[in-house]
Amino acid sequence: MSSSVAEHPAASDDFSIVGKSVKELRALGDHRHLSLNDAEWAAVQAHFKLLKREPSLAEIETIAQTWSEHCKHKIFTSPIRYTEGRKTRTIKNLFQETIVAATEALQKPWCLSVFEDNAGVISFGKKWALAFKAETHNPPSALEPYGGAATGVGGVVRDILGCGLGAKPVLNTDVFCFGRPDYKGFLPEGAHHPVRTLRGVVAGVRDYGNRMGIPTAGGGIWFDDDYRLNPLVFCGTVGLLPQWAVKKEVKPGDLIVAAGGRTGRDGLHGATFSSAVLGADAPSSAVQIGHAIIEKRVLDALLRARDRRLYRSVTDCGAGGFSSAVGELAARCGARVRLEAAPLKVSDLESWEIWLSESQERMVLAVPAKNLKALEAVFAAEGCETAVIGEFTRTGRLEVLHHANAVVDLDMKFLHKGLPRIEREAVWNAPSATKPSGGADKKLSQALKEAVGHLNVCSREWVIRQYDHEVQGGTVIKPLQGVRHDGPGDACVIWPHTATGDMDDFSGFSVAHGLNPEYGRFDPYWMALACVDEALRNLTCVGADPSRAALLDNFCWASPEDPKQLGALVRAAEGCRDAAKGFAAPFISGKDSLYNQSKDEKGRELPIPGTLLISAIATIPDTRKALTMDFKGPGNALYLIGRTNDEMGGSLYHRLLGRAGGEVPKVCPVTALDGFKSLHAAILKGLVLSAHDLSDGGLAVAATEMGFSGEFGCLVDLDEMPRDPRIYSNETLLFSESPSRILIEIKPEDEGSFLRHFGKAAKAAAVRRIGQTTANPIFKVVGLDGSTILEESLRELKEGWQKTLPAMLA
Amino acid sequence: MNHPKVLVLRAAGVNCELETAGAFAAVGGKPELVHISELRGGKKRLMDYAVLAIPGGFSYGDDVGAGKVLANQIRHTLTDLRQFVRLGRPVIGICNGFQALVKSGILPHSNACDQTASFTVNDSGRFEARWTHLRLNIQSSCLFFKGLPEMIELPVAHGEGKLVLKSPRHLEDLKKNKSIALQYVTEDGKLLGYPHNPNGSIFNIAGLTNPEGNVLGLMPHPERFVAVQQHPNWTRQTYRKQAIGLEMFRNAVIHAR
Amino acid sequence: MSVRPLPLLTHLIEVRLRPEFTDAEGAGALMLLQGSGLSSIKETRVCRLYEIKGPLSGNQVQQAAKDLLCDGVTQEFRVLSPSHAPLNGMNFWRVEVWLKPTVTDPVGETVRSAVAEMGLPRPDSVRCALVYRLVGRSTKPQIEKAFSKSLANLLIHRCVVSEAHP
Repeated sequence: MSSSVAEHPAASDDFSIVGKSVKELRALGDHRHLSLNDAEWAAVQAHFKLLKREPSLAEIETIAQTWSEHCKHKIFTSPIRYTEGRKTRTIKNLFQETIVAATEALQKPWCLSVFEDNAGVISFGKKWALAFKAETHNPPSALEPYGGAATGVGGVVRDILGCGLGAKPVLNTDVFCFGRPDYKGFLPEGAHHPVRTLRGVVAGVRDYGNRMGIPTAGGGIWFDDDYRLNPLVFCGTVGLLPQWAVKKEVKPGDLIVAAGGRTGRDGLHGATFSSAVLGADAPSSAVQIGHAIIEKRVLDALLRARDRRLYRSVTDCGAGGFSSAVGELAARCGARVRLEAAPLKVSDLESWEIWLSESQERMVLAVPAKNLKALEAVFAAEGCETAVIGEFTRTGRLEVLHHANAVVDLDMKFLHKGLPRIEREAVWNAPSATKPSGGADKKLSQALKEAVGHLNVCSREWVIRQYDHEVQGGTVIKPLQGVRHDGPGDACVIWPHTATGDMDDFSGFSVAHGLNPEYGRFDPYWMALACVDEALRNLTCVGADPSRAALLDNFCWASPEDPKQLGALVRAAEGCRDAAKGFAAPFISGKDSLYNQSKDEKGRELPIPGTLLISAIATIPDTRKALTMDFKGPGNALYLIGRTNDEMGGSLYHRLLGRAGGEVPKVCPVTALDGFKSLHAAILKGLVLSAHDLSDGGLAVAATEMGFSGEFGCLVDLDEMPRDPRIYSNETLLFSESPSRILIEIKPEDEGSFLRHFGKAAKAAAVRRIGQTTANPIFKVVGLDGSTILEESLRELKEGWQKTLPAMLA
Repeated sequence: MNHPKVLVLRAAGVNCELETAGAFAAVGGKPELVHISELRGGKKRLMDYAVLAIPGGFSYGDDVGAGKVLANQIRHTLTDLRQFVRLGRPVIGICNGFQALVKSGILPHSNACDQTASFTVNDSGRFEARWTHLRLNIQSSCLFFKGLPEMIELPVAHGEGKLVLKSPRHLEDLKKNKSIALQYVTEDGKLLGYPHNPNGSIFNIAGLTNPEGNVLGLMPHPERFVAVQQHPNWTRQTYRKQAIGLEMFRNAVIHAR
Repeated sequence: MSVRPLPLLTHLIEVRLRPEFTDAEGAGALMLLQGSGLSSIKETRVCRLYEIKGPLSGNQVQQAAKDLLCDGVTQEFRVLSPSHAPLNGMNFWRVEVWLKPTVTDPVGETVRSAVAEMGLPRPDSVRCALVYRLVGRSTKPQIEKAFSKSLANLLIHRCVVSEAHP
């Protein structure tokens, strides 16, 4: 009786499209929240015309889901007619030609899996590998900050569980972009105030990550009012897996096993929704509340089953639910699914709802029949439900049955390769360089106070303390550093001994980020380079090896249907390519989230600033050589690595003054990497006491932070700074945000060996002693004319730095 | 050398079991991760072990109250726990494990069945992770503290760690029985409020022991300080380099030998 | 002849912190409500309300409440009648914030299995609400508005505001 499969999907579910006009199809799509465009509708129509039948609702939903921006990244892989100045060229596949091309050119043998699995994988020692992935959960977090952010964490953790044969999560990261918490303007109906978004998002990340027992120890927050309607929530996870578990394969005949949470009506249309422009009529089903403990049970059971090699492949149910998960696993063979076998939360689900539901905490496994009993026992022991929902076939078709009715019968080739590519227009006009203008000068002491108290610089302790950043006992360099454990670290270092089970192996890794949408307002190309540079110099500062760094890209952009937006995106992607090549740091995975724009209270479109998050991971052979950014003692020498240029465009200082124009910082990757590598070698020799990167607020902010974290002062002579000789302004030297610069502290007796060593290693990077640390916690600066231009109490500066965020939240 | 068997209890949402087991292994114990369902089904027996550890985490999501569901399971499943304690075998409950020991009435008096203490939400209203200075009660007979300095540092990470008592007279009992195992203090040993006392616990109590000293429950995480570089200031020269958490596990293993 | 199914009983159990304990959650909620325009509210305490549907007798519900839902030291509980009528209380308000039926309720799911584990009949469903008891002069629309801006998201929550006993 098992062959009583209907000829084609049941007529009752039919969804008539053949013969419908473009207008009718659009209306149908709007009605059902399907984000298929005209060309895609035409392709679907043609396909079913050829089959001489109408599609079922489940089929249309499956196609829409699979082809959605969230699942396919169709903008990045579609042809683009790109015009820059007077030149126009066609980019066939932006993703291939920039990000992937750079990785392929670099050919790093330690990249074990790039761009194909749920996460990128690099080797970690001889036995182990690290999987790293970052994702956004923007529209759900805008609608329901707590649930949206929590399920964002849950989702990226499942990506790691579903990477290779499953990795153990050892670190979570979180990066947010919000409107300013003190935003006083109007908001459209349905939009949450930025302060509520911040509170909810932080609580969501906290509750899910803490419950899962994964340390959240890296990240950042960027405030800009243009994010007020479209907050960005980036969740990242690093997982550890044995190298044998990196590869996975499905064999026809393997059983399709669903594990974890039950399937309900939650999250329907989450994937299509994520690419639709956010509106007040958002479907409530797009938002969910996560259930971390179910996912923890899945984690515990899955890794036990993995180590007994009970399954051959695994992936997570993310956007598109079963349809995507099974579709992905079966892409090269085929699958037959029986929906009635899926455990449900509520009994009245329709076929397409079961198939497309995005209920959280679910994984799909490919299990050889002989292992089923053992696998079920492992999951049952953890109190985790499993169900056989079908089997993989060799038919090349995706067949879905519900109580013997065929509800989906699609050709895998059409589903995965049938998406029509639409050429889009992109335009980029390089802004003409302008001299800085506008705004009034501030007293240096006032500017410094405002800089350290600025929302994008101030202490994040209120957030970080809410995360259990030390669970698993591996956070050897913590996000908060210094004497009182409250200074701003550049990156965390993880010693994953709990996951490896080997306390005598001191190898570890570090994760850092780069993000600065302000530079993107000048030129997204230089923003991309600056982001990669920032991530790598942060890694270098804590002792990670900059020549063993791998990158993730996360693009968050407004609508690519606007040629200017798309042009800026192309520019950023090309910056990523050149940065990866220049720094010899391959991209291993990435994601994009487009259409981040909404109508404001007056009905005007408010796009987010083009935002690129670079997440970098690098290994550290011996975590006992890692270091922190706080001054370690008085009388030590301060060296500045890297040249300071007149690059104030997009700087924090200009924003404080309300000044426009200027040069955006430009990176020279070869020189930068030379400096990072030389510094790394000096750190390995134990010659460096502390290191801190110069970013927002330049030297002034970096020295202040190192001082108040270590509770020592310093004396800095600006005339000693390696710099463009045309700079005559103390302000520029103090606040310029030239990239690739790091301030380091060295014992006087080590200066000689440091210089000998650095001189030998560094061919191009500048380095120079610019001052020394002092016992008194005072930040003192000697200006170009030899007089003292600044003398500020670090205690007071710290107070200002600490109070900004709590004051706005109270 | 014999390696005492340590039962490291697992349940849904427990998440510090691996580092706890790792700490016992590092000092010569033989830890075994045992799921509470294995004890319930009779597959494993508590009395076959020399030490019991209930690790930290969010058992059952801490829904209903931190450690509450696990405490109920301990009452109903680990019926031989009281005998285990009476035999003087070491029991340690860390963070969520401490909450479960208190809510199941094992602490502070393992021979009375009544729950006399409990936990509420931190005074700050938030989950917080931070390193704390602690003073050990060197007068208590707690076997985990043998040879340890009076002043130590350990990290806490919890949202519901404020210890409260059923009535004020219980505080006198605790003092009299030397049940107060450790207290949150300032760097120079003073009993002050937030953030030194991270949750607002009564009398700055961070951990309790039974009068016999073989059961220890504490909110701070000793298993997160088993190597020098886990301390927040290990990169500073002024820091005295000793991983104090490890010594607590060593004492339990030595005692069980 | 068909067998009549057991009536689906609905039990409501309210668990609250005893008055002698400080309610940090309540203090946090009060701050948020005041920030959302409810400056007239002077005090807020938070309790939990469990709606248990299933074949449990009154005694069994009492047992579940006492041994599972309520902490023996810090909390007290009462079983409410399903149609607990709002009462007139001058300046006392009660706001129940429920997750909408389509939204996953993790706490409810934990309670459901924990009740069964105690040897009691497995409930068909358990939902959990947060109940805010407010002290202060206000109006229902004001309270609804402030909640929708702070403690409840009407996309996933259902808010029930009533006047209450002190």
